[in-house]
Amino acid sequence: MATSTPLAGLAPEDILTLDRSGHVRRRVAFDRAVGWLLPLLFAVAIVPIGWLLYYIGSQALPGFTVAVITTNPSGATGGLYAPLVGSLTILAVATGVAILFGFLGGLVTSEYLSDQWAGWVRISANVMVGTPAIIVGLFGYLAFVIYFHWGLSLAASGLTLGVFMTPYVFRATDIAYGSVPPHIREAALGSGARPRQYLIRVASAIAFPQVLGGIFLAMAIGVGETAPLYLTTTAVELPPTGLFQPVSALSLYIWSGFQAGYILPSAIRLAFQAAFLLLVIVIGLNILVRLIVARSRRRLQGLFQ
Amino acid sequence: MVHQRRWLVWWPFAFALIPLALTLAIVFTLLRASDLQDFGWSFWGLDVSNYGILVYVTGSFLTAVPALLFAMVIGLGIAIASTTYLPRFLAAVLDPVVDLLAGIPSIVYGIWGYFIVAPFFGKNVFTWTAIHLAWIPGFKPTHDSSLPLIATGDGLALAIIILTLMILPITTLLMRDALQAVPRDLWESGLALGATRWEVTRRVAVPHAKRGVWGAAFLGFGRAIGETVAVFMVIDQASKLPTNVYDGTSTMASLIIGSIDSAMELNPSGVTELHFLCELAIVLLLITLAVNVAGRWMIRRTYTEVAGL
Repeated sequence: MATSTPLAGLAPEDILTLDRSGHVRRRVAFDRAVGWLLPLLFAVAIVPIGWLLYYIGSQALPGFTVAVITTNPSGATGGLYAPLVGSLTILAVATGVAILFGFLGGLVTSEYLSDQWAGWVRISANVMVGTPAIIVGLFGYLAFVIYFHWGLSLAASGLTLGVFMTPYVFRATDIAYGSVPPHIREAALGSGARPRQYLIRVASAIAFPQVLGGIFLAMAIGVGETAPLYLTTTAVELPPTGLFQPVSALSLYIWSGFQAGYILPSAIRLAFQAAFLLLVIVIGLNILVRLIVARSRRRLQGLFQ
Repeated sequence: MVHQRRWLVWWPFAFALIPLALTLAIVFTLLRASDLQDFGWSFWGLDVSNYGILVYVTGSFLTAVPALLFAMVIGLGIAIASTTYLPRFLAAVLDPVVDLLAGIPSIVYGIWGYFIVAPFFGKNVFTWTAIHLAWIPGFKPTHDSSLPLIATGDGLALAIIILTLMILPITTLLMRDALQAVPRDLWESGLALGATRWEVTRRVAVPHAKRGVWGAAFLGFGRAIGETVAVFMVIDQASKLPTNVYDGTSTMASLIIGSIDSAMELNPSGVTELHFLCELAIVLLLITLAVNVAGRWMIRRTYTEVAGL
């Protein structure tokens, strides 16, 4: 539809010679102008992205050595080993929680619930995706840090982030299993598979890449979140030692670099290096998602005809 | 035996209730922690020293509504360009760039906004608008001597700009989905009648995608009003109404993260403040829930699985 000419079959010049008042000419010219001007709006997205990536890179890369990711921070100097390991540990705990709740929930919703019930459950999952991170963080602080007496800890922050990530995994699972074509199900059950065999060996094989993509995507969203972590753990200088010990995170170091303001240049340097590491992780995960989704689409193309 | 079987069949259904249960747990926890403390009528007032929320609600709307307007206009333009005007290979290259905006963490926007965009816009844009566009309501600086302060850049206007960037991908993506779902027949009949691509877009495609456009507006608004860290970093946090667009103010979300530290120290005033923050959080949660339900109801079912929106 994008490439077809307004007046198919006739060359535009033929029409334009008949166009005494110039009305058609004006309309076609306006259409062409819009076609040139509207794509310029992409600059609103491209310029900030380039500016941001260039600026973070130019601040972080000079002086970015292996020591940055192998030494612990001390005060406003040192490296980012502890926050990096901390971020990944929190992410691991949170991903475990999100998979446990989100995957099983999505599976049940897609495979077992009647359409009416599934509709309601989907609405609640969709709405939960939009819950602000700060509110999930406040919930985690009140529930886990205070009521459960876990203190500012890995368990509290991991679980809070897990709660935040759950609906993303839930929806990805639901959509993935829901998009397995019905004729595959009929074929499997018709050739004697039990429902459980169908679910594990047929549907899961088809849905797995999409579920995996959803999980990685939830990780990409979760690892960059600051508000839930700021309320449930605190920036320490050593890697995590236990489930109920405080744990540091990259985003918390960016936050403290910002709070140090222009006073402590080394804290700002550390903050930009943390931001750079975070961007590498997030963009890496995003690319992984795209590769997985594109590959599974290609592989399963024949299924959906 | 039969009972056992039935139990075996039914227990997995509990997992389906997890999103609902988590939402309810959040509401319940906030209600309990707020202790239902009664701040009286001043709670709905402008007096921040007397625990009034209206300043923060106003701050939230003052940042979210303009950001949403910009993001909707720019997003609709990008969505139309990518579905209608751009050659397919170019759209395939450019669309992921917009999606990439969604992937960048809030705090990275914040630190970039505070350390580089703020001074740049302060010196080059806001100083200029403060002098030349002072006739627009809100663009006039309070005093002529406040120009150096304006040149630092952080404040309401910068928060709106950063927020626009942050919600641009969600509005663009949802509208792109809606426009792509316009049936080919409609397009071809429009073109066959002699309409130009722009006329079909304006009179056929966009009206057909109306629900999607509204859904994008609602969901984008929900995103904008809940955005916390980046807004806190660029808004020049202050518990007051802004007097002009360069002034600092506070949104509901940025107040929560800004004052949670003092509320965590559980002295008597901290406890009251925690109660206040919880009640504020409930108000914020109710607004986002209402907006999200409306938005999802508009869209019903979309497959934006790649961007995870």
